[in-house]
Amino acid sequence: MDAQIIVLVAGLVLLLVIIASLIFLRGYSGKYTYDTANGTRPRASEGEGNTLGVTFKGRFRFLMAGVGAMFAALTAKLWSMQMVSSDYYDTLSQQNQTRTVRTSAPRGRILDRNGNALVTNRPSLAVTAYRDLAEDTVLVRHLSNVLGIPYVAALRNIQDNTEGAQARHTIATDVRRSTVAYIQEHAADFTGVVVDERTERQYPYGSLAAHVLGYTGTVTQEQLDAQKEAGSGDASQITYSSGDVVGQAGVEYEYESLLQGIKGEQIVTVDASGNVTGQSSSVEARAGSDIKLTIDVKIQQACEDGLKHAIDVAKQSGYENAGAGACVCLDCTNGEILGLASLPTFDPSVFVGGVSTEVWNELNSEESGTPMLDRAINGQYMSASTIKVLSALAGLEYGIYSSSRTTVCTGFWTGNGEADGKKCWLESGHGTMNLQSGIANSCDPVFYDIGRDFFYYDKAPEGLQEMFRRWGLGSRTGVDLPSEAEGRVPDAKWKEEYFSDWPADQRTWNPGDMTNIVIGQGDILVTPLQMACVYAGIAMNGVEYTPHVFHSAVSREGEGDAYLYNESGKKVRLEAKINSEDDLALVKRGIHDVIYSTDRSLASHFNNLPVEVAGKSGTGQKNNEDDYAWFCAYAPADDPKYVVAAVLEQGGGGSATASRAIRDVLGVIYDAPDTSSDSGNSAVR
Amino acid sequence: MPLQAQSRSQSSLRRVNRSRSQAKGSWRSTLQVGVLAAWVGLMAFGSLVIWSASLTIADASFSRHLLGIALGIICATAVWRSDLRNLANISTALLVADIVCIFLPFVPGLSHNAQGMTGWIRFPLIGLTFQPVEIAKLLTVFFMASLGAQYNGRIDTVRDYMKLCGMLAIPFVCIIIQGDLGSSLVVFFAGAVIIMMSGARKEWVLSTIALIIGLVSLILATDSVIDGLFGDSASLIKQYQMNRLLVFIDPSADTSSDGYNLLQSLIAVGSGGFFGKGIGNATQSGSGFLPEAHTDFVFALLSETFGFAGAMLVLILFATLMLSTIHVAVKSDNLFLRLVCVGIVGMWMFQIFENIGMCIGLMPITGIPLPFISFGSSSMIAQCTAVGIVQSIWRCRAKAA
Repeated sequence: MDAQIIVLVAGLVLLLVIIASLIFLRGYSGKYTYDTANGTRPRASEGEGNTLGVTFKGRFRFLMAGVGAMFAALTAKLWSMQMVSSDYYDTLSQQNQTRTVRTSAPRGRILDRNGNALVTNRPSLAVTAYRDLAEDTVLVRHLSNVLGIPYVAALRNIQDNTEGAQARHTIATDVRRSTVAYIQEHAADFTGVVVDERTERQYPYGSLAAHVLGYTGTVTQEQLDAQKEAGSGDASQITYSSGDVVGQAGVEYEYESLLQGIKGEQIVTVDASGNVTGQSSSVEARAGSDIKLTIDVKIQQACEDGLKHAIDVAKQSGYENAGAGACVCLDCTNGEILGLASLPTFDPSVFVGGVSTEVWNELNSEESGTPMLDRAINGQYMSASTIKVLSALAGLEYGIYSSSRTTVCTGFWTGNGEADGKKCWLESGHGTMNLQSGIANSCDPVFYDIGRDFFYYDKAPEGLQEMFRRWGLGSRTGVDLPSEAEGRVPDAKWKEEYFSDWPADQRTWNPGDMTNIVIGQGDILVTPLQMACVYAGIAMNGVEYTPHVFHSAVSREGEGDAYLYNESGKKVRLEAKINSEDDLALVKRGIHDVIYSTDRSLASHFNNLPVEVAGKSGTGQKNNEDDYAWFCAYAPADDPKYVVAAVLEQGGGGSATASRAIRDVLGVIYDAPDTSSDSGNSAVR
Repeated sequence: MPLQAQSRSQSSLRRVNRSRSQAKGSWRSTLQVGVLAAWVGLMAFGSLVIWSASLTIADASFSRHLLGIALGIICATAVWRSDLRNLANISTALLVADIVCIFLPFVPGLSHNAQGMTGWIRFPLIGLTFQPVEIAKLLTVFFMASLGAQYNGRIDTVRDYMKLCGMLAIPFVCIIIQGDLGSSLVVFFAGAVIIMMSGARKEWVLSTIALIIGLVSLILATDSVIDGLFGDSASLIKQYQMNRLLVFIDPSADTSSDGYNLLQSLIAVGSGGFFGKGIGNATQSGSGFLPEAHTDFVFALLSETFGFAGAMLVLILFATLMLSTIHVAVKSDNLFLRLVCVGIVGMWMFQIFENIGMCIGLMPITGIPLPFISFGSSSMIAQCTAVGIVQSIWRCRAKAA
């Protein structure tokens, strides 16, 4: 308002000045034509001078007009700049003098349930540059000499794509102070090279729990774009800028908002060459929160070691392809995950300071066994015989297979006709079996009967699948880790849609499909964590707590917990309806017998534990691959607390190999190492 | 009765004359008040500006500025006391002096390099540096005026006109060869004004302007061809000169070097506002964002410190100076001196318009100082001498009475 009035008044004054000067010039021109004031000039010279005077009059008028036009142009431009657009230029001049310097905030640490630090920070100096630095080969060569890395490596780091085209690329991390000092002293020789002071992630336990912890990396362009799209409506939301380090997987990703600190901001005044001359305002950086996980370092270690042990056993038994697998240990009374192992694993420290394309590709390649895949939550396998506990419950509940019914196992089951006959895993046959002994011996014909009868059971032909889903198969467990798989419980509708390019008669649901899924073969897919949850539910009489790795956020001041996972009570994932206590008791007796009554070798490994264990083995059959070994168990059998589930890809029979991992974990929990030297190959599948 | 009336008119005339001569005093007939006032005003304001610059810019030595002013006043007084009419007859000598002056920096023992420019000399014994091209500007004005005055106010033949133009081309080309494009343009403009005032026909002038425009575009075209074939080293126009032209068209296109200078200058001028930021508060020009803030870009410094008001004051002082000088030219009865006056006006016109224009983005960037205000003794002495010339012409007019 005021500015407008000033502009208006100034404009009017300018107009008046122009008019006045025009009038003045008119009068002035008259003045020298009738020059009487200084009329002392000799008149005699006027004869010719008169005409000269007249012609000069026009020329002088022209010259004055030129001078006037020049000043008018300058005045007009000055007026528009200093009066009209003054604010605009003022803003520019303010921007010229201030720079915003961001100070990074240390990321929160990640601790195990007892306070052992799994991830900490350490300071590091990094040399970075934008990608176009690669064009200056002389500089890159010089830089690689100074940093003591090969020229090709330096060039590759600069041109690397993983950090995004807009961000500065890390050339070297953990650069020595003396090297940094040299680069900064010779700044003119290293134009475009920037030294960053960073805090890098440090992993005191190496690759332990790598899949749970995840890793950090420079924020990607997609993440920045997503952030821009989401808008910054919430003031408390952390806004990232290019080059920031954020969690990219695991807990680092899931609890990014807690771990990430709030960057400090300093507005400093600078001179023309960019030197800081003063400070006008500053906001202190706030470190991210420390996070306490439910993971127990001891149990986590046991899960990883047990898995490796089981793989060794499998390899010794002739399963050469064994090497990958997963092992989960959780507390069935509250859902806390105590250990979560996946093999092959990776070292999260390779991501510190940016991972090279080469290493990244290797970590994700099939040849190296896709170490980045967290098999415990994202690996989908056929459940094999471990699912028989649910099949048995379904059979009992729908009255398809009562506790008194028996099946005679001859080793070859022909319930779907002679042509579609199916083998029991024990080809010599189990003889007469009831449901409990069927579970204990994992006798397939008992369950073939259940599957076939469900198929022909008009009231609930998909009662079996309903039972699987009731216990949480086919849906995510809700664990607080990214990229969890949901598994698959196949039914008639699914088959119809999934094989849509098959002829209609081949994609209709048939008794063979039922006899497959009832023993956990065929198209059914589960994750190890899902199976662990199922066994936790069995142990807790139907209650499954949501599995989680987050225990609490440690408060910044003092020792207390600022925020607990179970703050508003334990989170129940689902409560499976139990038809009758007797049904469940029968199943529990069956899986108790699996360990202690059916196989001497298996029993010998568990007999030296101070507690009794209930569990079930499984052996998944896959075309062109060795069998997949499963074992799920909980302990103590009478008052369950711990659930352990393990799977070995191509690891052979479940009770022979996967059971070793379970035993090792329980051995660590109860401080009772497996002393049995019985290497007898347990036959139960 | 008529006698009575006559005596009355005679007495009134006498009274008027007496009162006029009393009011004016004897010094007013030898010193032109407008020129004097504007000159003193500009130097005073300029001193204030340079003093404020000296607070933050190490190179801007206020004492050296005052020394320049003192030398300038001495030169101006010396010139004012002398009679310049005789210079009209020695045009050949003027041309020789002019060319010698222009090429003085190439004389071994005198040449002095400053900021990559070779247009400086250093007096061997006293160690003072000087830019002789500033004096060459005045010599050229005298030279052109002495030629123009021969035609008695009307150039009758194209041949004569072409001859004048050719004569102007000699110092113009010499200064270009010496490497100072800005000064050569000043000389060219001042000479062109003299030729026009000497009585060249409008059609000729207009066709010459058309010819020059055509020639310049031809040079630019050939230059780009040469650039493409042989690279910048063989170029007629140096890359930095080309850049300045391009940057002038779009200041934000290139934020380094020339584009940067122009942008910083625009910010400095614009952020001044109406009353300016005050002495010592000029953040743009005072703290180094604007290079050459006390020399070529002094107007930006002035505008930032004193705002629109200060800029208008300077413009009004310049306008007074130039209009008063034109008044002196009008009053002079000697054609040669008249043309000298006009030439000096032309020189100021171009220098002021170019210098202020480049600060506010109206003109491309060249290294021309702002008369009486820019830091630098050479320019100060030459410009003061120009004022002395104008005052001498006024004094000579008075003598002729």
